Amino acid sequence: MSLDLPLVFAGLMGLAMLMYVVLDGYDLGVGMLMPAADAREQELMVASIGPFWDANETWLVLGVGILLVAFPVAHGIVLGALYLPVAWMLIGLMLRGVAFEFRIKAEGWHRELWNWLFWLGSFVASFAQGFMLGRYITGFHPGLGYFVFALVVGASLCGGYVLLGATWLVLKTQGVLQGKALGWARWGLVWVALAVALVSLATPFVSQSVQAKWFAGFPSARTVALMMLPLATLAAGWLVWATTGRIKRGEPEPDWMPFAAAVAIFVLSFAGLAYSLFPFVVIDRMTIWDAAAHPSALGFMLAGVVIVLPFLIAYTAFAYRVFRGKARAGLYDS
Amino acid sequence: MDEVLILSRVQFGLNIGFHILFPSLTIALAWILLYFRIRFAFSADPAWLATYKLWTKVFALTFAMGVVTGITMSFQFGTNWPGFMNKVGNIAGPLLAYEVLTAFFLEATFLGIMLFGMNRVPGWMHIFASAMVAIGTTLSAFWILALNSWMQTPAGQILQGGQIIAGDWWRVLFNPSFPWRFSHMLLASGLTASFVIAGLSAWRLLRASEDASARKTLRTGLVLAAVLAPVQMIVGDQHGLNTLEHQPAKIAAIEAIWRTERAVPLVLFAVPSEDEHRNEYAIEIPKGASLLLKHDADAELKGLDAYAPDTAPVAPVFFAFRAMVGLAVLMLVAAWVGTWATRGGKLPPRWMLWTLAAFTFAGWAATLCGWIVTEIGRQPWLVTGILRTADAVGGASGAQLGASLTGYVITYTGMFLAYMVVLTHLAGKGTQA
Repeated sequence: MSLDLPLVFAGLMGLAMLMYVVLDGYDLGVGMLMPAADAREQELMVASIGPFWDANETWLVLGVGILLVAFPVAHGIVLGALYLPVAWMLIGLMLRGVAFEFRIKAEGWHRELWNWLFWLGSFVASFAQGFMLGRYITGFHPGLGYFVFALVVGASLCGGYVLLGATWLVLKTQGVLQGKALGWARWGLVWVALAVALVSLATPFVSQSVQAKWFAGFPSARTVALMMLPLATLAAGWLVWATTGRIKRGEPEPDWMPFAAAVAIFVLSFAGLAYSLFPFVVIDRMTIWDAAAHPSALGFMLAGVVIVLPFLIAYTAFAYRVFRGKARAGLYDS
Repeated sequence: MDEVLILSRVQFGLNIGFHILFPSLTIALAWILLYFRIRFAFSADPAWLATYKLWTKVFALTFAMGVVTGITMSFQFGTNWPGFMNKVGNIAGPLLAYEVLTAFFLEATFLGIMLFGMNRVPGWMHIFASAMVAIGTTLSAFWILALNSWMQTPAGQILQGGQIIAGDWWRVLFNPSFPWRFSHMLLASGLTASFVIAGLSAWRLLRASEDASARKTLRTGLVLAAVLAPVQMIVGDQHGLNTLEHQPAKIAAIEAIWRTERAVPLVLFAVPSEDEHRNEYAIEIPKGASLLLKHDADAELKGLDAYAPDTAPVAPVFFAFRAMVGLAVLMLVAAWVGTWATRGGKLPPRWMLWTLAAFTFAGWAATLCGWIVTEIGRQPWLVTGILRTADAVGGASGAQLGASLTGYVITYTGMFLAYMVVLTHLAGKGTQA
């Protein structure tokens, strides 16, 4: 059997998107939490994401790049249908990216202004991403109900990123700021729990094909097996709650546990989403095989991916190792 | 032309024109930083370290501007030019993906170590990280210039079922105009960076003439520019001859040659009239264009009439080309005079420092003019002979475009002003910043 290239690239695209959501998710989350901290804490928060945010954002370019390379027809349809939210997201990402640099160099009210723009950019980008996801899983249907659904998903993703950002800060900070971050993580978790429940319940109603994939012939063995996914998500959520509680009370608990559990929530939700959508790249309209690029292009690409990916993972891991441990203020003087 | 096409072109032109400013600076600045870093490693002179740290800040800021505006561009292929990906996605896609895989991750990841990791990794590892960033920026230029050159002078592709696919990737990458365009762009980056460094150092020296770091960087920038400027002129000339061979219609627009004739004069200045197909107020050198382009005073040159109706608008190409060449000559003079004036550690007179400060962004201006020449000059084609710009547009309504364009204009204006404020602030304070 020859290699099913569209399937391989669908997997790679999913991986890139998941990496993006988790990695840029935590630094967008930190950005959204900025107004809740005082000036000294803000320095630490920014220092904790400084070495990483740029590479994190590159996963988005890779994900969209694969969509463009491997599924060029879908690329046009998806990005065309999401024209304005994409523009909003890009403006948000631009604002926060440059605000990050400018705020380090600014003083006084200028720094205050860039802090707010950093927050605004993080928020706009996160919300736009969630909104796009909401539009995407409902097949870009027009109508007020679908629009509201997308708004809810937008707000949910913000909550998810806040959870990731807060648990990242639990890992990277200590003392008073870590204490605050524990509280933020719990608020984020409540927000996420509500959102995941709402979206999970609503999705089968707004999309017939998703409903069929989960509940066809209900009650069936498949549905029962699939229910492991929400149960595992629930367990991961409980883990965030329990571990943040233990750290807050000063009981022994590795400080990376809440972050790992938050990542698990994202991975599980992503798996559920991937299961709902597969094999469509534009839901109910276009499968990955309909949209795939020519094998000559995919083959040329795959060679590059196979060669480059191990290096990419290796030096990304190296960078995280170099900057392991608690964040220190004074980025450029460290 | 309908409004969607015009607005899409304005928006993309704005984005790509704004974006190119930042890579133009960072591609070469990354290598110059590596040079500063190595000088520090060998001399242990704190002035080199201070220099490195100051210019690292400029680099980080410029790099961030490049990254965020670059992400915007990558989305616009899909949001505004779906026809482009439909038709040539099998070639453009992999080249862009290779850029992400081989260049973006490399530079973005090692940039973190380069900027914030000096005290966390051994010295050799820090130099290695700086080198990886430099290699990453250059690799990025390699892939983008390969794609752009392929769009200008396609090679190695085959048509299959209405779609273009690659027959021979080697020929796609190393298409006829690629070697010249790539070298022209790398040299443009070198000149842009050296004038920014020299100009901002001059700006600093006007305020603090004893600043040891600024004296070092003024000299570095000027010497580099003095070496690169003549090389760029030779490469630019070769690039022009290459264009004459592969995109003669572009040359006809650049030189405002309306009719195919023998012994064509070289138009130094004129006001090209698109309606009447002739040049007004022309100052010409008789037989100059034939001599320059064909090395034969009586040679025949094809005019725009030979390619009608597939010709580019003459005026923007004609003027942008002359602005580019004019700037190049001025930059050459400034670099050579400046190099002479700084020999043996001398401080140039104040008027010369002012002049060099005024030349800070001459590289940007020349680079932009060059891109205007090459991008407008290939119209109406998006991919020469394969896809017209008008056939690639779509995806958005005029109202959506109006909204997004307004958003970009506001965002870019704010970003640009802030960038300039921070840059002059950093330069003014020098290594004390």
